[in-house]
Amino acid sequence: MYAYDTFDRNIIDARVAEFRDQVERRMKGELTEEEFRPLRLMNGLYLQLHAYMLRVAVPYGTMSSKQMHRLADIATKYDKGYGHFTTRQNIQYNWPKLVETPDILTELADVEMHAHQTSGNCIRNTTTDQFAGATRDEVEDPRPYAELIRQWSTFHPEFSFLPRKFKIAITGAGQDRAAVKWHDIGLILRKNTEGEIGFEVIVGGGMGRTPVIGKTIREFLPEADLLSYLEAILRVYNEQGRRDNKYKARIKILVDALGAEEYGRLTEAEWHKIKDQHIDVPEEEVARIKAFFTPPPLPVLSDDVEEVDTFARENFIFKSWLENNTNPHKVLGHVNVTISLKPHDGIPGDATDAQMHFVADLAEKYSQSEIRVSHEQNLILPHVAKKDLPEIWKALDANGLGSANVGLLTDMIVCPGMDYCALANARSIPIGQAIADRFDDIRRLQDIGPLKLKISGCINSCGHHHAGHIGILGVDRRGEENYQISLGGSGAEDATKAALLGPGFDEHGIVDAVEKVVAVYLGEREEGEEFLATYRRLGPTPFKEAVYDAD
Amino acid sequence: MAKKIKGPQLIIANRLDDGRVVFMTENGNWTPDVARAAVADTPEGVEALEVQASTSEKSNLVVDTQAVPAETGDAAFPAHMKQAMQAKGPSVRPDLGYQVSKTWETDAQEGN
Amino acid sequence: MTLINLSGIHSETYRELENDELPATGESVLVSLGQLQENSTSIFELTSSVGVIVNTETPYADLEEFVGRVAFVDIRFPVFGDGRGFSLAVRLRKDFGFKGEIRASGHVLPDQALFLLRAGFDSVDAPDERHEAFEAALKRFGAFYQTDMIGHGKSVAHLRHSADKDKSATQKAG
Repeated sequence: MYAYDTFDRNIIDARVAEFRDQVERRMKGELTEEEFRPLRLMNGLYLQLHAYMLRVAVPYGTMSSKQMHRLADIATKYDKGYGHFTTRQNIQYNWPKLVETPDILTELADVEMHAHQTSGNCIRNTTTDQFAGATRDEVEDPRPYAELIRQWSTFHPEFSFLPRKFKIAITGAGQDRAAVKWHDIGLILRKNTEGEIGFEVIVGGGMGRTPVIGKTIREFLPEADLLSYLEAILRVYNEQGRRDNKYKARIKILVDALGAEEYGRLTEAEWHKIKDQHIDVPEEEVARIKAFFTPPPLPVLSDDVEEVDTFARENFIFKSWLENNTNPHKVLGHVNVTISLKPHDGIPGDATDAQMHFVADLAEKYSQSEIRVSHEQNLILPHVAKKDLPEIWKALDANGLGSANVGLLTDMIVCPGMDYCALANARSIPIGQAIADRFDDIRRLQDIGPLKLKISGCINSCGHHHAGHIGILGVDRRGEENYQISLGGSGAEDATKAALLGPGFDEHGIVDAVEKVVAVYLGEREEGEEFLATYRRLGPTPFKEAVYDAD
Repeated sequence: MAKKIKGPQLIIANRLDDGRVVFMTENGNWTPDVARAAVADTPEGVEALEVQASTSEKSNLVVDTQAVPAETGDAAFPAHMKQAMQAKGPSVRPDLGYQVSKTWETDAQEGN
Repeated sequence: MTLINLSGIHSETYRELENDELPATGESVLVSLGQLQENSTSIFELTSSVGVIVNTETPYADLEEFVGRVAFVDIRFPVFGDGRGFSLAVRLRKDFGFKGEIRASGHVLPDQALFLLRAGFDSVDAPDERHEAFEAALKRFGAFYQTDMIGHGKSVAHLRHSADKDKSATQKAG
């Protein structure tokens, strides 16, 4: 893991002092709310329905046990004993007081964490594969590059007042678990024929009211040129992105207006002008950062572990958990364990302070004190020896975290919706809970197989419904919550936009609709065919008929 | 000329220092107890409440003040979903939020 | 209003011309870009001490023909969040090698002081009561992750691997 040096430490301490001063000036009235709002947002502090909300960055979703313990302590001391893990691999607290926020930032800085650039019209936390540096299907660990981007984008003198927020994602694996094509900039690590490392550069993806899949503007960018190339992309956007309408201000609108080819041409022209301006860091710096991400020295073990197989034969939930919640590690005999934060009756992504402490303790014992957050709102223990799995699962299960549903229908992304969010038009969480209730049977879920269901409470799409195999969007229809269903989206390497199936439903109707969609799939699927494949083969018609013509 | 209104209105806001949802009372104070919210049912009355609220906003006590439609049965309550949610707390955590009046009573001092 | 000096350069006082007004001989004047585009010949005949006012939406290419002839560029922010002004300043410095004064006017916040300085601004025209806050904000950070207009080509990443590393790590700006 990356560790701060004196430079990083001084910068973060200065930032905390700055925010403390800003809060004091606001309380004294030296700053108006209009002026303070963007300043607090740049520190991840929102005002939501019930209270302020503080979003703390977990850079590229990697943290230590020590940091997780601190997140738990903050939940206890400054909040109501829980936190919510988000689709940008961050954590947010729902009840902090404005006047206590500087103290929270001080406690975070103490463990090398911060909340800056988790909001506002700046470059947000770079997200990546939750199994980065640990998974078997990887070209290269993307996290050193994400850390480079974190530093380059922190308080950038030119790009801190962009037309709109800006999100970058990077993956190093063949399987895209970071939804890179849905980002303002998506980066895919590649090796060229000479074996050199570089990036495929994708721009202009995004969700919101105009969902767009990003387009490749460069097939291979040498790794040494990453930051200058990003700077070129950002400069074109900062200058030409629309500022007259916030719904048309994202880069996707500009890329669409200019055409991806033209955007690529402008970027290349700009980049050739600036590539020698020392924007990129020296080679030694890349090496320095990479050294923090050296894989832990794990012994090569056998992938076949007798006691694991035996326990799996005895316990169906463990067997499912083994199948769904573990990912092959690059070192034989090891796996990456996904802890589902989608327990039945729970709130997707929420964890209590006690659960956070518990996971931190588990990481100390089994995963090199390392924890990951996935954009699908789960926690990961990387580098786990396979032989430890029965013990780990039993401990998780005893703490309400043993759910075996990762990748299945109830492993939903759900935005906070109108239960918390000031922008929402409808509640999301109760819909997720009702669906989880309807499908509360691991054998049935297992039979249905991989299915990504995603729920947003408004068109801003924080619940990624456009990328859901089944996507649900909550809208306000004449003062009533109404839910629309879309099918066929994907956030993976074969990214597609989900298509609206038809008119919306009330909160009960939407659960029935999901069940009918699943029933069509189960009736029509071919041997071994997953939901998305069946939908792509059949198109929307049979689903539409089942959902709308039955009554 | 005061603008037209649709039915009775009350004033909802968040307190600046802790973000907590509060309602404006008859005497221009702020309370977390929605039942004590002042309700106006004439355009002039609503405008008077708004003027008073904006004074509190200018003195940095509250933010995001807004006049919203109110129901006036036994006691005042916001008529629309979103503000009703604000008055009650998150529907998925009935153990938290302002609807747990006992917990909140203790620190429900009405500063102005 | 008070003039806040970010970079330490010596600021001249310029008089803003009315529409269609011409400067007195040798007078230091400030004119809008439109006015300059229309009357550049006569204006530069009368004085060489010319500053130009540009809006944030001005395409940087429009400034190219004047960069060698104006002493001063005043970038007016309609609202502090309009980041185009920052890119304009960077362009003036990097693309055109402009060495004269760049000033931010209009709506900018004290908390933007270092962003402005680092993007290439020299001064800010701000309300009197904000003077102290600007000065305080300028002293806030001592090192930066980007190669910018004040670091002499040294970002934190470069400093980490250079000889004066220890000194810079602990130094505060100001």
